[in-house]
Amino acid sequence: MLATGAALGGPLSRLLGAADTVLMPFENGERDLVAYPQKRPLIRMTARPPQLETPFAVFNEGLLTPNDAFFVRYHLSDIPTSVDPGAFRLKIHGKVATPLTLSLDDIKKLAPPVEVVAVNQCSGNSRGFFKPRVNGGQLGHGAMGNARWTGVAVKTILEKAGLAKEARQVAFNGLDKPPLPGTPDFVKALDVDHALDGEVMLAWAMNGEDLPMLNGYPLRLVVPGYYGTYWVKHVDDIEVLDSVFTGFWMSAAYRTPDTPGRSVAPGTTAKKTEPIQRFTIRSFITSLTDQATVTVGRETVVRGIAFDSGQGIREVAFSSDGGRTWRAANLGEDLGRYSFREWKIAFTPTQRGSHTLMARALNRIGESQPLEPLWNPAGYLRNVVETVHVEAV
Amino acid sequence: MRKGEFIALVAALGAVVRVTALEIQLPAETARLIESPLPGYALATGMCYTCHSVDYFKMQPTSARAYWQATVTKMQKTFAAPVPDEAIAPIVDYLVKTYGAEKSTAPKPGS
Repeated sequence: MLATGAALGGPLSRLLGAADTVLMPFENGERDLVAYPQKRPLIRMTARPPQLETPFAVFNEGLLTPNDAFFVRYHLSDIPTSVDPGAFRLKIHGKVATPLTLSLDDIKKLAPPVEVVAVNQCSGNSRGFFKPRVNGGQLGHGAMGNARWTGVAVKTILEKAGLAKEARQVAFNGLDKPPLPGTPDFVKALDVDHALDGEVMLAWAMNGEDLPMLNGYPLRLVVPGYYGTYWVKHVDDIEVLDSVFTGFWMSAAYRTPDTPGRSVAPGTTAKKTEPIQRFTIRSFITSLTDQATVTVGRETVVRGIAFDSGQGIREVAFSSDGGRTWRAANLGEDLGRYSFREWKIAFTPTQRGSHTLMARALNRIGESQPLEPLWNPAGYLRNVVETVHVEAV
Repeated sequence: MRKGEFIALVAALGAVVRVTALEIQLPAETARLIESPLPGYALATGMCYTCHSVDYFKMQPTSARAYWQATVTKMQKTFAAPVPDEAIAPIVDYLVKTYGAEKSTAPKPGS
C-alpha cells in the first residue's frame, strides 16, 4: 500500500487541496484517506453510507485498536448523525412476558457491567485479495479491529423481559435506516440460545470510552467470535420471534455455501447456503510490509497478530522460506480468547535476496489456516496463510 | 453540594454520563460518475445518487455486463429503487462501457 499523498508531504498536499491517497495492492485500488468525525484519516471505501478501512500499520501499534482508527461499515445511507443519550430508548418486545422500554441509565443499572476484549471483523475483510476476484466492497485487511467492550449481557435484558416458551430467534435493529421506504432495513437475528449465552452483549463503551457515533453510539451488539454483520449498531429495538427471521439481511445476504470449508470451486455457486457464522482462524505479520528491506546477518524481530472465533490460539508457526520449514513463534499477552493474540519471532536472514515470510495459526481445537485459498462467491471468510516478501540486503 | 462531593458522587455512579446530544457532521462526498455521451449517463446521474455515493463503481474489478445488469436489477427489485424498466438497459450499457469489461481500455475480466 503506497501513501502517495504522504509522499508529497501530507500537510502540503492537504494545503493544496489534494486528498491523501493510498493504493491498495489490487486492480482499481486507489482510495482517499479521509478523517471522519471522531476518527483519524482512514481509508475511505464509500462516502454514503460511510465505509472506512483501518490502515494496516495500526495493527502493529498495539493489541487494542484505537477507537479513532476502528473500521466503519454501514449498509444503508440514512444513518444517525445526532443522538441524545437522555432521550434514547431501547424497546424489547415480541414474544416476551413484559415488553420493556429502557433508557441508557436503566440499561447501565440493570446489572454490574460485563467486559470482553473481542475482535470485530467484517465478513468481507480482505475481499480484494480473492482470486478470481469477486464483486462487492474491495477491502484490504483493515476491516477488522480489537477492542475492550463494556456493556450488559443480552441475557440480562431478555431475562428481565421474560422469554415466552415459543421464543426462537431474537432480531436486533438500530437507528440506521434505509434511504427509501421499500429498501429492506438492516436487521439481524440470533438464535435464542446464542442470545442467551451470556457473552452476546449490548456495549455502550469501547476501550473505556463511549462508542464513537460511527461505531454504533450509544449501544451496539457485540457477538464475540462472529462476523461483524451481527454486531448491529445504534441498537434501539429488540424483537423476540417465535420463528426464524426472514428479513433480507439474513435470508438473502451474508450467506455462505453450506459445504465443508464453506467454499465452492472458484467461479461456481452453492446449491445450498446458510447464514455466515463464526470467524475463520487468521494470522498476520504486522511488523514488516511487502517489499520491506531487512539486513543479512542481523536479527529482525518479526511481530504479528492471530485470532480465531474464540477457541483460543494455541500456536503460531512462522516460515521465512515460503513454507518449506516452520518454527513456533512466541505468543504474547493473553487478553482473552476473543482477542488478537500477539506473536513474535527472531529472524536473521543469512542470504541476500527475496525471502517469503508466512505465519500460520493453530487453535485449541486443531483448526488452522489453509496454504491455498478457499473461495466462495461473496468473498467472505478469507483465511489463507498470508505472505509477505522482504528483501535481504 | 461542594464540587469535590459532586465529583465523588459522579465517580461513585461509575462514569461521567454524557448529557448533551452527540452530533457529527459527515465530510463531503467527492465521487462523481464519469461523464459520457451515452444516454445511460444522465439516467444514472438522476438515479444512483438517490441512495448512495458512487464510490463502488470505480473500485470493482473489471466486470462483465452480467454483473452490472445484476447490480442495477438488484437496486430496482431488491432495494426498491424507483428505476423504470426502460432505464435499466441504457444504465447498464453506460456502466459496463465506462467502468466495466467493455471500457475501451479495460483489461480482460478475471485478470
